[in-house]
Amino acid sequence: MTTAPQASAGPRVWRVSDLNRRVRGLLDADTALADVWVEGEVSGPSFPPSGHCFFTLKDANSQIRAVLFREELERATVRPQHGAQLVCHGRVRAYEPQGVYQLYVESVTPVGAGDLHAQYEALRAKLGAEGLFEESRKRPLPRWPRRIGVVTSPVGAVWDDICTVLRRRYPLVEVVLSPTAVQGGVSAPAIVRALRRLYAVDGLDLVILARGGGSIEDLWGFNAEEVVRTVAASPIPIVVGVGHESDITLADFAADRRAPTPSAAAEIAVPDGTQLPNILARLSQRSATATAARFEAARRAVRGEGRALTGLRPDLAASRQRAAELLDRAHRALGSDLERRRLAAAGLRDSLRALGPLATLDRGYAVARRPDGMILRDPADVASGDELEIIVARGAVDTRVTGVRPGDMEELLA
Amino acid sequence: MSGPVPNAGDDLAGRPFDELVAELQRIVQTLEAGQVGLEDSIALYREGLRLHATCEERLRAAELAITELGRRGLAGAEVPEPAQEG
Repeated sequence: MTTAPQASAGPRVWRVSDLNRRVRGLLDADTALADVWVEGEVSGPSFPPSGHCFFTLKDANSQIRAVLFREELERATVRPQHGAQLVCHGRVRAYEPQGVYQLYVESVTPVGAGDLHAQYEALRAKLGAEGLFEESRKRPLPRWPRRIGVVTSPVGAVWDDICTVLRRRYPLVEVVLSPTAVQGGVSAPAIVRALRRLYAVDGLDLVILARGGGSIEDLWGFNAEEVVRTVAASPIPIVVGVGHESDITLADFAADRRAPTPSAAAEIAVPDGTQLPNILARLSQRSATATAARFEAARRAVRGEGRALTGLRPDLAASRQRAAELLDRAHRALGSDLERRRLAAAGLRDSLRALGPLATLDRGYAVARRPDGMILRDPADVASGDELEIIVARGAVDTRVTGVRPGDMEELLA
Repeated sequence: MSGPVPNAGDDLAGRPFDELVAELQRIVQTLEAGQVGLEDSIALYREGLRLHATCEERLRAAELAITELGRRGLAGAEVPEPAQEG
């Protein structure tokens, strides 16, 4: 370590490298300097064989040395040229061997709103060539998301609109808001950070990135290269809904799904839960019907056996008794107060009664059976002209099929 | 698959809604296939009722749960702050 060679009374004498290291540490410790946007005029750029670019960025009163390494230079949409006005994004660090501090540039953007469309097209072409917008990269959205991350401004209508849609359609979902500024090009680093914060959250199924409508300048953050790249790099499916129908930002292109508006993004993100009670009721009805049919089949089997034997054999009596016991057990099991209350709440009393096959038939239901004994469940199992036996509570009717209409209601959920 | 009555008797409370619906669908399909015995079909039917009741209750009680990430994320992960943010 550094120790002054003089007597303890003298001033501390530094070694140059220690001093530079100390200064570098100071700069590195300042997080504000780790992420800066600097506007200035490029002066004396050099492009040595290393592939890096060194230049000076200056304004009327000051200048700072800047370096754009080869990798960043290759990704840049503009090359620093003498006299150009640029906004440089990067960090300030000290370069110890030379005792200078400089701007390590990560990306450059030309100054001037008139260039926005040109920039947009240039960046779109560049990122498109890299394959960021490929259809093949796009992932399907989860059908039943449990946890959704939302990146948007926490103030304003957009966040409220998203919550309103989610509440109406699918309030079972859990929402994690990662708030960010969304105004203008300067919001780009904040958007990137907000996305990354979400990417670090466990158990998210989907991300929504949203902003309301505005001018091209307002929406510019969503055309920033680092935002587009961060969207494309999302570890989970991401929906982007920015502006109005006609506003298409580059972030939209990079998303797995593009939504025309923030509300539409929320609509796309979740299933329509308003249909869920009906769907559930239908499923319950189907299970009641199927169970009743199962009992009916058992009863018929026992009865058929009885006819064939024209007499009561001990084992047949036992079978009969067993079938009766099972029916009783089903009724007892389902008839407890607790169960009854649940059923009442679910409106399923009828389903319960349907468990008894005789009761079912008594209520006017019928069983249709083909000549080969098959119980008819699917219209595809018969054709016009086929014979069908319709069994009702007090007998049977022989019929002939005059038409078949398959239904498609059953598979709403499949 | 260990038997015709999946997960019978376990606690439904901690399980995600979509899983419950999927299980109800499986039960309906099993019942409709008609291949299970009488006793199993009773058990399946009961389980279906229980699932239905749980799902309905979830829907009735559902309230959108919202968490807002702080500057440091949910787990306090290091996320450097900008010098200025608008």
